[in-house]
Amino acid sequence: MPESDSSRWPVNPRTNMPIPPRAQPGYYPGFSTLSQNNFWDEATRTVVLRRVEVLPPIRFFLPQEARLLKAVCDRILPQDDRDDAHIIPIVNSIDQRLFDNRMDGYRYESMPADGEAHRLGLRGIEAIARYLFGRSFEEIGPLEQDQTLKTLHDGKPPAAPEIWQRMPVHRYWMLLVQDVVEVYYAHPWAWDEIGFGGPAYPRAYIRLERGEPEPWEMDEQRYEWKAPETSLSGKMEPIAGTTKHNTTPDQGGTH
Amino acid sequence: MLGAMQYLKVSVPRYPPDEEADYCIVGVGSAGGVLLQRLARAGFRVIGLEAGPFWDTERDWVSDEVGSHKLFWTEPRVIGGTDPVALGANNSGRGVGGGSVHWSGFTPRFHPSDFRIHSQDGVGVDWPIRYEDLKPYYELLELEMPVAGPAYFPWGDPHGYAYGPHPMGGVGDVLIRGCTKLGIRVSAGGPVAILSGSHGDRPHCIYRGFCNFGCKVGAKQSTLISHVPDAIENGAEIRDNCMASRINLGKDGRVTGVTYFDPEGRECEQKAKAVIVCGYAIETPRLLLNSACPGFEDGLANSSGTLGRYLMVQAGNVVLGRFPVRMYKAPPAHAMTEEFYETDPSRGFARGFAIQTVGPLPIGFAKQMMVAKGAWGWGMRQVMMDYNHWAGIALLGEILPWHDNRVELAEEKDRHGLPVAKVTFHLHDNDKKLIKFGTNKVMEVMGAAGADDVVQESRYAHLVGGARMGSDPSSSVVDKFGRTHDIPNLFVCDGSILPTQGSANPGLTIQALAARTADYLISQGADVFKTSRRSMETPSIRKDLSPPGTWGKGVPRLK
Repeated sequence: MPESDSSRWPVNPRTNMPIPPRAQPGYYPGFSTLSQNNFWDEATRTVVLRRVEVLPPIRFFLPQEARLLKAVCDRILPQDDRDDAHIIPIVNSIDQRLFDNRMDGYRYESMPADGEAHRLGLRGIEAIARYLFGRSFEEIGPLEQDQTLKTLHDGKPPAAPEIWQRMPVHRYWMLLVQDVVEVYYAHPWAWDEIGFGGPAYPRAYIRLERGEPEPWEMDEQRYEWKAPETSLSGKMEPIAGTTKHNTTPDQGGTH
Repeated sequence: MLGAMQYLKVSVPRYPPDEEADYCIVGVGSAGGVLLQRLARAGFRVIGLEAGPFWDTERDWVSDEVGSHKLFWTEPRVIGGTDPVALGANNSGRGVGGGSVHWSGFTPRFHPSDFRIHSQDGVGVDWPIRYEDLKPYYELLELEMPVAGPAYFPWGDPHGYAYGPHPMGGVGDVLIRGCTKLGIRVSAGGPVAILSGSHGDRPHCIYRGFCNFGCKVGAKQSTLISHVPDAIENGAEIRDNCMASRINLGKDGRVTGVTYFDPEGRECEQKAKAVIVCGYAIETPRLLLNSACPGFEDGLANSSGTLGRYLMVQAGNVVLGRFPVRMYKAPPAHAMTEEFYETDPSRGFARGFAIQTVGPLPIGFAKQMMVAKGAWGWGMRQVMMDYNHWAGIALLGEILPWHDNRVELAEEKDRHGLPVAKVTFHLHDNDKKLIKFGTNKVMEVMGAAGADDVVQESRYAHLVGGARMGSDPSSSVVDKFGRTHDIPNLFVCDGSILPTQGSANPGLTIQALAARTADYLISQGADVFKTSRRSMETPSIRKDLSPPGTWGKGVPRLK
């Protein structure tokens, strides 16, 4: 895909002009959690720096599966607003989780194991793309890719019924999205993007009052942006099949 | 910078492997940690088996969501039913300290009404004990943990907290503002088992917000830091990374010990005069079911057929509200209201709910937005860029105990070849009505606080039941002291023995019950080891068995 394709960039809603990629999207330009790592404890520093510096090899997925998953991840969390030097790698960490068999501690009775679910899901996505557009998912444009993925979000995959009989489509969708966000938002660049303060032991946060920024954090500098015309994911709608009481997979206890 | 103040002694082998212990405790978590400490202090030879590691908090724990995966029970389990319960990080701990390592630390007491909901509201079942039986242990554990909270807590049996409440951050402020606007009373700064000031060898809270990923600071209580050090000091042995596989029954109808896999995967047996299972609501029934033997074909101590049944979770719907100002930081457990705790016939359902603050970190928040808004792609990126603007408060609603909500054994086996747990869960009519009403109320509070966007995500919190206590051996697994009805020297002590759960977080109640069971066992002395006599006499409370620092100089007092 051409990296400089401005039709993939987010758009300034006032001017309708594409916003070129930058090192750090988000409302906290210059904020860097990593710059504070001297104030972190050693165990945390080791874990986080390793995440930034070491790219795990692909060992679980076959090469063609990894390529397809990369194309899917590029739509599940697009990074076209990030410059080439600041793309957060996603597929390698998902591969590592599955290779290490790092599971969430439960499996829905209606679902296969996570690794098999990912493999089946990729086959399903490819089949839907071919059904809708007659070409491989990797070959179609971003809008067509979103149209393909949105059929899963909407619970209406038009192809590969044998796969969706083996696993409920909304459960696969949530597995896929959560695996991607779990990698992206574990990266300190993503913390910088959203203004999350990151690790604070042993130094401590000192400003509790209404969430005021710490001396080493930044004040927010908002700008307006909207998703590009070549996408469908800017508008948020509930996932089909989740209107009942569905607990989300794997989130740290919140009570 | 203030770093670790507390040095934890690692457990060293004290007892030869072939020597019989007085008590073998399976699972050194919330209940197991307290029991181990009490029994060791009283002079018993006690060994704790723990499936997970003995944590070195400075080396093993990190301020990082993904890096904390090992704190949770991630061995395979199967979930099903019409409303399946997510396990793992949501509610299942692993390692010494168990769930108390990753809990938020909210420590409300149960209300007096919780112990008699069948008599009072015609639902669920009554407990074989009353609030008054547990009250002295609530007071005791609130000092042992200790619990920080307001000087006056108005609900249930009104009481106050000896240790000072926490200052308010943005999210607590949201709950207080919303409730106040609607005329709802609210408790600020606790009750929560997190130190607002340094205490003994434990530092004060630094408000970094990673409570659910192990408190490296040592400000939040876990039994690993509050009770286990004293247990080891008094001669207890903890064997970590040891997975119990079965409890063995002798010819005389008494248990003889526990078979387990040691850290190298070898099968060993620890002989004991009595066994206490403290594996929590899934692993306790699983171990007893896996210990089926002639005479107990359907699971050890399961003559009632209720083992694994009446499993409960609480409704934990999270309501997220967006505010124009920055919100994040501070412990998840910060402020709460129990104004809707009791049955109100005008609502059309029995029992009630609490409202509490939550504090999802980025990954947790993203997953909530995936469900609450259906976010993905650019939408996810955009809503996440507003992370600092969102505040979370949650429903904590009472789901009733139902016969068909249960733990069974699945076909699937774990890495030791042991059948894994299958957990089936269905919501019933009363539960659904309560969740709907409660969630709407939480959303109303969020709106009243001034949120410009309010969304909700359905989820559950906590796990209890599965080996419930009761007076009638045909409808419960253990008696009011945790002794199994079927086997005189086999006990269960953990969240699984709760017959009902109220809408209070169960952690304090679990630890209080453990201290009470310990007092009972100590009062029975060697009788537990030798006779089948089942004394129902309530023991006197042993305040002399508290860990050091609970009493004396510098410790606040309550009137």
